[in-house]
Amino acid sequence: MSAGLNVMLVGSAALFAVGAFALVARRSAIVMLLGTQFMFMAGGIAFVAFARFGLGAVHATAGAAVALFAGAIAVAELAVGLAMAALIYREQRNFSVDADRG
Amino acid sequence: MLLKGTLPQAITSPPVVLFIYAVLILMIGSALASVLLRNTMYAAGAFAGSMVLVALLYLTIAPFLLFAVQLLLFTTVSALLLIGLLRGTTGLKASTLGPLSREWIIGAAVAAALMALLVVVVATTSWPVRLIGNPGPGLGETLTNTYVVGLAVLVVILASAALGSGLLLAAPTLRGGSTTSGRDPGRRDPRARGSSR
Repeated sequence: MSAGLNVMLVGSAALFAVGAFALVARRSAIVMLLGTQFMFMAGGIAFVAFARFGLGAVHATAGAAVALFAGAIAVAELAVGLAMAALIYREQRNFSVDADRG
Repeated sequence: MLLKGTLPQAITSPPVVLFIYAVLILMIGSALASVLLRNTMYAAGAFAGSMVLVALLYLTIAPFLLFAVQLLLFTTVSALLLIGLLRGTTGLKASTLGPLSREWIIGAAVAAALMALLVVVVATTSWPVRLIGNPGPGLGETLTNTYVVGLAVLVVILASAALGSGLLLAAPTLRGGSTTSGRDPGRRDPRARGSSR
């Protein structure tokens, strides 16, 4: 029994699929933002796994550096997205993205 | 720590392997819970839990700095942002969509297709493995030397996001700001209502 690159990549793929499900199936702006966060995290896990187990890079810490950048971008996106969700709530009194059509 | 001239090895220590599997399963379960739960407060809690579990996963396979940043910075900031939003709004109403609605079925199909595609690619690809000739510098040194431009751009992006979200929150409405801050945005202009009749 071991944990290698494939295990990490399958976990990353599952997390990415959960995020995609949230983006497609849910209409709440908050849950859709959480879905994008999961997709960012899945990418970060894949980068770290490749750096640790597989292809690697010039430096062994390059994957971790990219994961760090991806996480920071995800937090920035969450901040702007939640501010937009708050504006949607002020106008519509709910977080549904369908309510603002037209 | 990788030694000079060795191949990257899979983790074989039974406690660590069990820990990794448990963290992965809990992480996926927590992510699913945050997506499927109808109460937004519970969904935010499950999201914070999955962020902590990702940090624990980083602890086993990544430098300690990434674990610390993920746990102390990303998780905390995300949770604070969500709590702030939920405190500023009610945000606690249950979704009106049932689990068998058309959106849920389409979403599940898309997610299943994506996951199947990724798993097939992962399983059938022979990932190249190379010799680790040089363990390289630490993460902090890599960030401040190799990726210093990226780090600077990241600081600018984070500052822009903070400024932009603050400006968005200061705007009274999505459509520009024609209303005053003390007015209820849910109320409509009576003249506009009369003209639409």
